[in-house]
Amino acid sequence: MSEANRRAVFRLKRGVQPLVGLLIIYLVFTALSPTFRTFNTFKTILTQAVVLGTLSTGATIVLISGGLDLSIGSLFGLIAVITGLMLKANIPVGISIFSSLLFGALAGAFNGAIIVSTGIPAFIGTLGMMKVYRGFAEILGKNKDISQFPLSFQSIGQGYLMPISIMVITFLVAHIILSYTKLGFNCYAIGGSNEMSRRAGIPVKKYYLIYYMIGGISTAISAIILASRLNFTNSSWGLGLELNALGAVIIGGTSLTGGVGNIARTVIGVFIVTTLNTGLSHLGVSSSWQRISIGTVIIFAVWLDIIQRRREENA
Amino acid sequence: MNRALKRIVLFTVVFLCITGLVFAGGSKESQKTGKGKITIAYTGFPGGLTPFWAQMAKYMQEEADALGVKLIDLSPTTADANLQKQSVDNAIDMGVQGIIIGSIDNRAFGESLKKAGSKGIIISAVDTAIDDPNVKALAQTDNLASARLLGQYIVDHTSQKGKVLILGGTLGHQTGDARRDGVKQVLEGNGYEVIFRACDWDDKKAYETAINELDAHPDIVVVFGCWDPGALAGLAAVKEKGLLGKINVYGFDGLPAAFKSIKDGELTATIKQDNKQMAHVIMNTTVLLIKGQEPPVKRLLIPGVVVDKSNVDKFLEK
Repeated sequence: MSEANRRAVFRLKRGVQPLVGLLIIYLVFTALSPTFRTFNTFKTILTQAVVLGTLSTGATIVLISGGLDLSIGSLFGLIAVITGLMLKANIPVGISIFSSLLFGALAGAFNGAIIVSTGIPAFIGTLGMMKVYRGFAEILGKNKDISQFPLSFQSIGQGYLMPISIMVITFLVAHIILSYTKLGFNCYAIGGSNEMSRRAGIPVKKYYLIYYMIGGISTAISAIILASRLNFTNSSWGLGLELNALGAVIIGGTSLTGGVGNIARTVIGVFIVTTLNTGLSHLGVSSSWQRISIGTVIIFAVWLDIIQRRREENA
Repeated sequence: MNRALKRIVLFTVVFLCITGLVFAGGSKESQKTGKGKITIAYTGFPGGLTPFWAQMAKYMQEEADALGVKLIDLSPTTADANLQKQSVDNAIDMGVQGIIIGSIDNRAFGESLKKAGSKGIIISAVDTAIDDPNVKALAQTDNLASARLLGQYIVDHTSQKGKVLILGGTLGHQTGDARRDGVKQVLEGNGYEVIFRACDWDDKKAYETAINELDAHPDIVVVFGCWDPGALAGLAAVKEKGLLGKINVYGFDGLPAAFKSIKDGELTATIKQDNKQMAHVIMNTTVLLIKGQEPPVKRLLIPGVVVDKSNVDKFLEK
C-alpha cells in the first residue's frame, strides 16, 4: 500500500471510530430502554442537540485553526441578554436577531484581535474575555426581568422543524467552508503549522480574525435559539457551556492541537453527548452519573486519538 | 481503503435496520412504563445546591414509596433552566403519567407543558407556581403572605429606621418575587427604604452583593435573604464587616443551618416552609388526578411560620 493510501486509511479509521461509538451507544440504549426506542425520543435528541450543535460548530473551526476560545459560554450569556433587551425594547425581531449576530461576529473578531495583536496565548486571552463578557452580561441583565418575547421570535427555537433546520444549515455552511473554500483549506494549514503557513505567504493573522469571528457568529446563533426556546434570558446563561462544546468537539475526534478535524466529527460528538444524556435519563440514571459518564467518554476519546496517532506515526 | 468504506456502509445499514425495527414496535404504551404501576417523574431545583431541595427530593421519594408509585428523579445538577426543560421533555418521551416540577425558572416550560397536556400527562408544580393551563395542581408556601408576616416581624423588631437590603432570587421567578414583594410592601409602608438586588439564588453572588452594598450604604439596618443559604451568605458579609448586632439578618426556608444560626444568636429569624407537607400534598394530588379522581385540593398554599430565638428549639428538635 502506498504512503498516501496508508494515510488515507488512518484518517478514515479516525473518522469512523466516533461514528461506531455513537452507533454502539444508541443501540445499547435502544436495547435497554423501551421508552428510548421511540420516534419522539429521536426527535427530542435532535432538538436537545441544537444549542450544543450550533455552538460547537464555531468552536470546531477555531480548534482546527489551532486556536481556542474559552469565552464562548460568557459571550453566549451576553448575547442572550442583549437579544432579550432589544426585543423588550420593541426593536423588530429581524433587526434584533441581525444585531445579535453582528455583535457575535464583532466579539469573536475582537477575541481574535487580542490574540494576534498582543501575542497573548489564546487560552489566557479568551479566559480574560470570558470574565469581561460575563461581567457585561451581569451589568446589562442586572435586576431586569427579560422574558415574554414576540411570538415570531419564539417560533425560531420552539418545536422541532425550525431549530433542527437551523442546526443542519449551520453544519452544512461550516462543512462547505472547511471542505470547499480557501478559508477552510488555510484553516487546516494554519492549524497544522502556524509557522509554515506564514512562510508560505498565508496571512495568518487575518485568517485567525475570521475563524474567531465565525466562532462568535455560531455562539450568537445558539444563544438566539435558546432565548427563543425558553422565552426568557438570564445573565447566568452559558456558565460552563464552553467546556461542554469543547467536550463534544473533542469526543468527535477534532484535535486540541489544531490541523485535524471536521464538522461531521463534531456532529457525531454532539450526538454522543446528547444521546448519552437522554439515554441515561431514560434508564433513570441521575444527572451526576450522566456527567461522570460524559467525562469518561471524553478521556476515552482522546486516549483513542492518541493511540491512533502513534500507530499512524509508526506505520 | 475499500474495507474501511465497506465498514461505514455496513454500520449505517445495520443502524438503519435496527432503529427502523425498534421504532416500528416501540411506541406501544404497555412497553413504556409497564407493569401497571403509576410512574411519575420529578424534576426539582438541584438538591446539591440547597438543602431545601435535597430534603424535597427525599420527601418525594418517601411519599412515592408510601403510595406504591414509581418515581423517576430527573432533577438537573445545576440550576440550568434549559436542562430542566430537557428533563421534562425526556419524561414525556418516557411515557410517565405525571410530572412534578419544582422549577428553576417557571418561565421556561411553555412548549413542553403543551406537549405533555396533549398526551394527557398530569403536570403538577411544587414550591413555585407555573402560570400555564396545563399545570393541574400546586403546593407551595404562601410566599406573599409569609413574607408580609416576616415584614411585620422585621418592623416590630427593628428599633431604628434606615435602609433594608433584600438579597433576591432570579428576577421574574414567582417565588422569589413574592418573597421580595411581601417584605417590601410592609417595610416601605412603615417608612423603610428598600434596596433590592437579584442574586439568582446564588449564595456566592448573595455574599458579594451584601459586601458591596454594606460598603455603599452604611445606613443599612436589616438584611433579608429570600432563601436561607442566601441569608446566611448575607450574614457572613455582616460578620465580616463587624456589623453583627447592629444589623439584623433574616432568611426564608427554615433549614437546619438557619435554625442553628438563630440558636447561636446570629440570624434573627426565618420563615419555616413545610416542604414535607408540600411533597405529601402534591404527590397525593398528582396520583389522584392520574387515577381520574377529584383531589380534595388542587392548589394548596401553606402558611409559613416565623422561627426566632423564642421558638427555635421546637424546630431544632425535629
